[in-house]
Amino acid sequence: MSSPSLTLPPQSPAAARNRRLLEILGALAIAGTYIYLVLNQPADITGGPGSAAALIALSGFLVGAVLLIVAVLPTLPVSTLVLIPVALVLNIVLGQFVGSTLVPFYLDAIGTVLIAVLAGPAAGAATGALSSIVWSFFNPTVLPFAAGAALIGCLAGLAARHGVFRRFYLVPVAGFLTGIIGGVVSAPVAAFVFGGTSGLATGAIVSAFRSMGDSLLAAITKQALISDPMDKAIVFTLVALLVYALPRRTRLQFPFVRRHRVLAGLDVQPGLDVQPGPDMEAGRPTGQDS
Amino acid sequence: MRLHPLTSLAAAGSTAVITTAAACFPLSVAVGAGAVGLSFVAGVAHRMLPAAAAVLVPLGLSLLVLHGLFFPEGGTVLAQWGPARVTSEGLQFAVERVAQLSAAVLALMLFSFSVSVPDLVAALSSRGVTGRFGFVLASTLTLVPAISVRVQRIRQAQESRGLLIRRGWAHRVIAFRLQAVPLVLSLVDEAGTRAQALEARGFSSRGPRTSYREVPDPPFQRGVRLVLLLAAVAAIAARLGFPTAGA
Repeated sequence: MSSPSLTLPPQSPAAARNRRLLEILGALAIAGTYIYLVLNQPADITGGPGSAAALIALSGFLVGAVLLIVAVLPTLPVSTLVLIPVALVLNIVLGQFVGSTLVPFYLDAIGTVLIAVLAGPAAGAATGALSSIVWSFFNPTVLPFAAGAALIGCLAGLAARHGVFRRFYLVPVAGFLTGIIGGVVSAPVAAFVFGGTSGLATGAIVSAFRSMGDSLLAAITKQALISDPMDKAIVFTLVALLVYALPRRTRLQFPFVRRHRVLAGLDVQPGLDVQPGPDMEAGRPTGQDS
Repeated sequence: MRLHPLTSLAAAGSTAVITTAAACFPLSVAVGAGAVGLSFVAGVAHRMLPAAAAVLVPLGLSLLVLHGLFFPEGGTVLAQWGPARVTSEGLQFAVERVAQLSAAVLALMLFSFSVSVPDLVAALSSRGVTGRFGFVLASTLTLVPAISVRVQRIRQAQESRGLLIRRGWAHRVIAFRLQAVPLVLSLVDEAGTRAQALEARGFSSRGPRTSYREVPDPPFQRGVRLVLLLAAVAAIAARLGFPTAGA
């Protein structure tokens, strides 16, 4: 993602191997927690307050998210790192004002997906996880969803790398699929940590499934499969609108966008890192990623 | 005695963990009440309580409606309207869960509203946590209020150019684009400038750093932190060892 620094010593292979190990451990922690919760759910939730499952969900997903942050954060170029606070602020502020002006959806991942499209899957995953941790300063209930947010950032970055954002009609489809995966992974958190959902509208959908006799996890997973894919399809589409509305100079500022030809209409040769467009300011360094 | 930021973080975190592990209604209520009381002592109640209410009221109502009306596992029916059945087991589950969540949320919010963010960042970086995490944390917490003001200004500017949010999807999407594009553009642009400034000051260079902010950390508080962490680990181990105790 970043070109090697000209002034700093290169990263040693041992450090890179350790980071890779941390990434794998983080992913394993998240996957293992999810599988354990789904396999062990029926007896726990109705038999009592379900706090063993809540603790496993909290600690497994949080440890996974923290490992991912520890692995990814030091490798991000500064130009990407400074975007993470921007992404988080966008998640909060844009989500709120879209809620008030656009549609009754809870669009809280716009910033994460935007960074994933501009800076890649690793940056997207770190942004998602960090967003949840920093946001928990205002709202501690988002903390357990850190792993789900990281997954959404990672999937959005992978979609961008494989050219989904070059073809506009594929964008909502990719969002829809991301929403399915994100919703399924987040459902055990909602079920075991919160025993329900935090919103009244989503709570009504869960109630409907519960009235048909579903278990709590099944009802919340079905609700997530209704809300999340739509939500993420809208988020991906809004991010595509935003990215294409940005000036070409701003879009080309990002090495990930240049290298993987993430967006249509950028006639940059793959592999060429610095290829200023005709409307770029002369002399302005485009590769701020070193 | 002034609390070290990591001591209050350990206190809030282990309180949340122990309350969740204990799953005991009186303890949850006591912890919640204690956190509210301490917020008055710390003088942050006027900021913390509205924020906590904004989180907990919808969550609590949602849980009460969900489990109070629909709890297929419940046996003792108190009232019934069509498919909705009020069961005492459902109500008990909802009230216990709300109390438990409120205790954890209030304890964590007491920490985040009373901690001094510069002290926390200094304490974290002196513990070897990468300065990058501190940057993201501090930068976000200072950006949020600034950006809310900017969103309003962009909206006013676009309204003075004739932006009128009418009904209908198309109008709303256009209104969203007119407001979001200037916001995102200015934020991304500023981030680029900030990256150059940080890079010029050796932000990503490794090696020892000198901190201008010293946060005193008395040995007593280090001991307290260790005890708190051990207590949280013990609570988790006890709950996992006896999953149904106290249920």
